[in-house]
Amino acid sequence: MKRRSPLAALTISAMSLPAFAATQPVESTVSVGLSNYREADVPQHLVAGGDHRRYDIDIRQFRLLTPIGRKWSLGLDLSQETMSGASPWATVAGPDGEPELIMSGATIDDSRTEASVSAAHYGDDYSVALGLTHSKEDDYEAIAPSLSGEWTFNDDLTTVSMGLSWSSDTIEPTDAARFGRVTREEKRSRSASIGVSQIIDRSSAVYAGFSVTDHAGYLSDPYKLRDVRPDERFEWALGVRYRRFLDFPNAAVHVDYRYYDDDWGIESHTLHTSWYQNVTASFQVVPNVRYYSQSAADFYRPVDDFTLAPDVEQSSDFRLSAYGAFTFGVKGVLQQPEWTVTISADRYLADEKYGLSSGVPHPAQLAFTLASVVFEVKF
Amino acid sequence: MGCPCEFRFHAETEDAFLRAVEACLRETERFEKKYSRYLPDSVTTTINRSAGRTPVPIDRETASLLEYAAVCHEQSDGLFDITSGVFRHVWHRRRKTLPSRREREACIARVGWNKVQRSEGSVYLPLIGMELDFGGVVKEYAADAAALLARNAGIRHGLINLGGDICIVGSQPDGRPWPIGIVHPLHNASAIATVTLVEGALTTSGGYERFVEIEGHRYSHLIDPRTGWPVEGLSSVSVVADQAIVAGSIASIALLQRPADGLDWLERCGAPYLAIDPKLRCYGHLLDHVVDQEKNAKSSVLLKGNRCAPGERSMPK
Repeated sequence: MKRRSPLAALTISAMSLPAFAATQPVESTVSVGLSNYREADVPQHLVAGGDHRRYDIDIRQFRLLTPIGRKWSLGLDLSQETMSGASPWATVAGPDGEPELIMSGATIDDSRTEASVSAAHYGDDYSVALGLTHSKEDDYEAIAPSLSGEWTFNDDLTTVSMGLSWSSDTIEPTDAARFGRVTREEKRSRSASIGVSQIIDRSSAVYAGFSVTDHAGYLSDPYKLRDVRPDERFEWALGVRYRRFLDFPNAAVHVDYRYYDDDWGIESHTLHTSWYQNVTASFQVVPNVRYYSQSAADFYRPVDDFTLAPDVEQSSDFRLSAYGAFTFGVKGVLQQPEWTVTISADRYLADEKYGLSSGVPHPAQLAFTLASVVFEVKF
Repeated sequence: MGCPCEFRFHAETEDAFLRAVEACLRETERFEKKYSRYLPDSVTTTINRSAGRTPVPIDRETASLLEYAAVCHEQSDGLFDITSGVFRHVWHRRRKTLPSRREREACIARVGWNKVQRSEGSVYLPLIGMELDFGGVVKEYAADAAALLARNAGIRHGLINLGGDICIVGSQPDGRPWPIGIVHPLHNASAIATVTLVEGALTTSGGYERFVEIEGHRYSHLIDPRTGWPVEGLSSVSVVADQAIVAGSIASIALLQRPADGLDWLERCGAPYLAIDPKLRCYGHLLDHVVDQEKNAKSSVLLKGNRCAPGERSMPK
């Protein structure tokens, strides 16, 4: 192999120094992603009525991140989803007493568009970011501002991060008059978080974080026949993360645990481990496993009870039941100086038997696959 | 920067002039604070103090400078090594006898760019007593950064000189190139050559600048990191390039070799240079600029960037 002339090699390297970079077109990142999320159909024998095909969602994502001067950066995220499929409408008791589903009759076709802008300011040992997200569907609109900051000290070994976010959502269900749904409802959410990360030594780091969120307003699902939830919800979560790089297999192991609790009676544990294996200098393979378990909400019912007064709290939403879930995923990352391609696939399986607390089988218990490819270019 | 700094700017208004000078001064002070070996809270001191203990997170600028130092190390086959500062502890001015083999070997054990462990966001010196010294790149880089700031502040005619690392921003106001004197290796008050530039950078360095005198022999402060011995190389090397940092490292690498090898390296690089060996013989593309001792007349040609015809060169036998 012919060696580059020393002058050329040194000049090329020098030009990547920030002083020179600042007067050149700034280095920006654009990434484009395509994903497909597909829920497994509900077994035919568990469907008492309606379409047994569940959601199939195509997601297109665009992201631009560009520095402005030396101290600022601007980010723009756009994503568009088109979804089709049916969703559970009611849960009734089948001939043997086991819950069966009535699915929404026709396929729902909807699309969702989300846009967010963020600006970040970088100081010597701190950074502050402001963001605004707007999300729109046929029947739904949300606007969410956020503020976050980070401060590094102790010889840059310790970082404290804080975040605040708000969200204001409006829902105007389709066919409200025809199905006796609410016509227009609102909800508001507020969230605050604080975290500390600490570099322990040259190959390991830990993070601990705490967050609280409260929601108020209409928190029920207007598309279910009978779904009455409290109009307030308070959540808190504690997360710890550990990262360690291992010289010998040239890999990093990530272990994350999260404990979550809310005043609806749901308590959950999430354990997520990933193995970042460097195969070559530019290729990385990341297998990962995630385990999740939650208890049921206090007002969860396996079968809707239409004998109760319409204002009595109850829901048969599978997301409020006691269950456990495994996600198995693998990701491949090919990284070149100017571009990166990431391909990933995940398989999610939920079952009441996987959970830590005992649960009643739910016919709508979810299984899905998620496949995505992301192409990123730096220029 | 621990050296005389000179800014010569021509601006339309006093305000514009002061703004440019202030921006450049602030930038050079920033580099001084950030990379000085002598300041207790500099990046360099933090990295060195953490040697053998813990990796130190670094910002993008420091990471890029380390990457640049890595390219210099590779291009020079290991001669240019920013961990070489450790040799200062044995080759110092108060020294009366030559360092013993054991002393040199103890130093060599703590020197070596290949031992440094780097990631994108951190650097770790794995042995207690290891040191990084950005001195070989930061002064030149600071001159480049100041020149870019001056240009961004609207300066079209300027010269920046940070202790011999010179960046030019356009011609003199009347259109003439800037004349730059190259110091005589033996008489540092007089110029051995005058080079004229309208753009780009010129750096000069030499073994004559600092030395250790032991048992009547002068040893250069430039140490071969592989042997631990001072290099008996060229006396002075000046290089012209688009960036001072590039010119500076080409010159430094030339000085770390025997004269013939240093000249070979300079030829391979292809940047205009003037090299002076210990017997005061001159070599290089900038030879035309050498002051004619007999006629005491100065001749010079206009150099634009680093585009110039290769001059004559004679190799020592």
